Amino acid sequence: MEEQLKIDFEKNLKNFSYSDQEKKFKEINFKEFLKQGFPNRKLENWKFSDLSQIIKSNIGELSFYNNYSKENQIEKIELINELEHNKLIIVDGKIVKIDFKFEDKDKIEVLVDQSEKTIRKNINSLINLNNAFSNKFCKIIIKKNYSLKKPLVIYHSTNKNTHFSNTNSRIDFKLEENTCLRVIDIFKDNSEKNFINIYYNFELDKSSILKNYKIDKTINNNVKYSYNNVNQEADSISETFILSSGSKFFKNEINCDLQGQHSSAFVNGIFDLDEENHHEIKSNINHLVENTKSYQLVKSVLEKKSKAVYQGKIFVSSEAQKTDGYQLSNAILLSENSEFNAKPELEIYADDVKCSHGSSSGSLDENSIFYLMSRGLNYKEAKKLLINGFLLDVIEKITDGEIKNLIKDLMGVKE
Amino acid sequence: MLKISNLSAKIDNKSILQDFKLEINPGEVHAIMGPNGSGKSTLSNILSGKKGYEVTGEVMFENNDLFSLETEERAHKGIFLAFQYPLEIPGVNTNVFLKTSLNAIKKARGEKELDAIQFLKLVKEKAKELKFDEEKLGRQLNVGFSGGEKKKNEILQMSILNPKLSILDETDSGLDIDALKTVADGVNALRKKNNSFLIITHYQRLLEYIKPDFVHVLMNGKIIKSGGPELALELEEKGYEKIN
Repeated sequence: MEEQLKIDFEKNLKNFSYSDQEKKFKEINFKEFLKQGFPNRKLENWKFSDLSQIIKSNIGELSFYNNYSKENQIEKIELINELEHNKLIIVDGKIVKIDFKFEDKDKIEVLVDQSEKTIRKNINSLINLNNAFSNKFCKIIIKKNYSLKKPLVIYHSTNKNTHFSNTNSRIDFKLEENTCLRVIDIFKDNSEKNFINIYYNFELDKSSILKNYKIDKTINNNVKYSYNNVNQEADSISETFILSSGSKFFKNEINCDLQGQHSSAFVNGIFDLDEENHHEIKSNINHLVENTKSYQLVKSVLEKKSKAVYQGKIFVSSEAQKTDGYQLSNAILLSENSEFNAKPELEIYADDVKCSHGSSSGSLDENSIFYLMSRGLNYKEAKKLLINGFLLDVIEKITDGEIKNLIKDLMGVKE
Repeated sequence: MLKISNLSAKIDNKSILQDFKLEINPGEVHAIMGPNGSGKSTLSNILSGKKGYEVTGEVMFENNDLFSLETEERAHKGIFLAFQYPLEIPGVNTNVFLKTSLNAIKKARGEKELDAIQFLKLVKEKAKELKFDEEKLGRQLNVGFSGGEKKKNEILQMSILNPKLSILDETDSGLDIDALKTVADGVNALRKKNNSFLIITHYQRLLEYIKPDFVHVLMNGKIIKSGGPELALELEEKGYEKIN
């Protein structure tokens, strides 16, 4: 792998016009990635999902160079018809379209040629990989006191002929004071055997609201990692909802730094897994000042040999008195070979806090099935009704009515 | 309508019903009384198709071999069990459940399914008759319902599905006297020429309001005595031990 990596990296540096500073930044990140490689189970954060092994067994040899000079054509992309929305389309890691047609143009600034100069300590080698290989990235700034009229849908797509390859993308968002942004991530893959690496950075200024809904419903054989870094100032709210289902492997990592008083973070997720799919949600909610709140709810329905992992961490610093932190996970295992791993972590240094966690897993209740069947429903219908009922309270946590209905439709939850 | 011959049932090699015989004709109301552990609930579970029992013998329901039918097919043919302990089903709206159930049965019978408006009209009418709080229809099925409300909900389901044979498994337990009357009214309203009932109970209290045609005493998995409504009164007076 190392040989290929070096060749691809050199190609990348040569073929795109980076400044010396950018080159230096990329080189440092590249060296770091070379040193660490893909995360493996020796790392606590990755002990249930050995990405190094997962890539080896599902993809094999990866190539890292993407020739963006040829136009990234999408064969087909099904857009959402159910609701009006702004669009951002990413194909093979490159942004091919940004369209805020429903919004006031002077309220949104889109900077397409961003590059990072400062070198921060990264949380894992995948961010290094992203920094080393992603092209220039895009930064979207929502101007003070503006709430977007329509949600922004980010379509993540891959070309049919892009196989055995790694794609990296990064978007930064800045929500200025008193703004509201809804982002829906939709994954529509036309390729197989790719490793897709996504990195979002959100800066939430005072009283801003971010709602991010990630919908991975299309069945595909790709391996994905998505990292959301959210920095929150006073009175800001972040809501993250993840529907984790279609990909072969998907790890969603959410890092929220609650650094302003009365800021709050909500992370809710559904694992709806079949076959041998293996998905994970890893959250780090860092309560750094007084009076902050976090709430997490994750529910899983696991068929066949699927595997779900939820590692939820609540960190409370010594200054963060009056913290309110909560996390709960429930799983239904529909087969003897399915697996649910939960690792709640509470690290608390303040003494006046309210933090709790809970986790349960079990099978579908046969008595409930019998009850429903005795009323004329067949086994399949009874099972579906029970599962939808089980998942409903996570869906009900979605605060945006329009998007809640879209997700209910996608999941076939009837009312 | 229902003919049970030589029915024996075991669970984990423990014999529960032995050589059980019973015949119910259209329009008849039969009551089965018996002490705890006599096999009453097993009988209702077997008739409605619960898995986990080793069964021998024969049960015919309107020319159908009951054991060849799945649980839901028995419901389609017109068998209804009012549960002793109705289950709480979180996340499933009561109205949605009732409509799904009614339409599943109608579909299986080749009848026209009800649309939302027709269904709401029907359910409102039935809820009113049974003094069932309409607001509860919008809630999750049996979640947070009191014991009495759960039982009333069973009777509401029964009157909406309009089954040919209704089995009431200790529907009277946990009901106060007003609720008991309402439940009895619900049953009596359904008591038409062809609808039959099998009422399973400990006490004769319910039978004051629903007059049975026949009373059977079940002990140790067998019917030891059958008679008219007067048998229930005799039981109440003497107790199960002395009746034999």
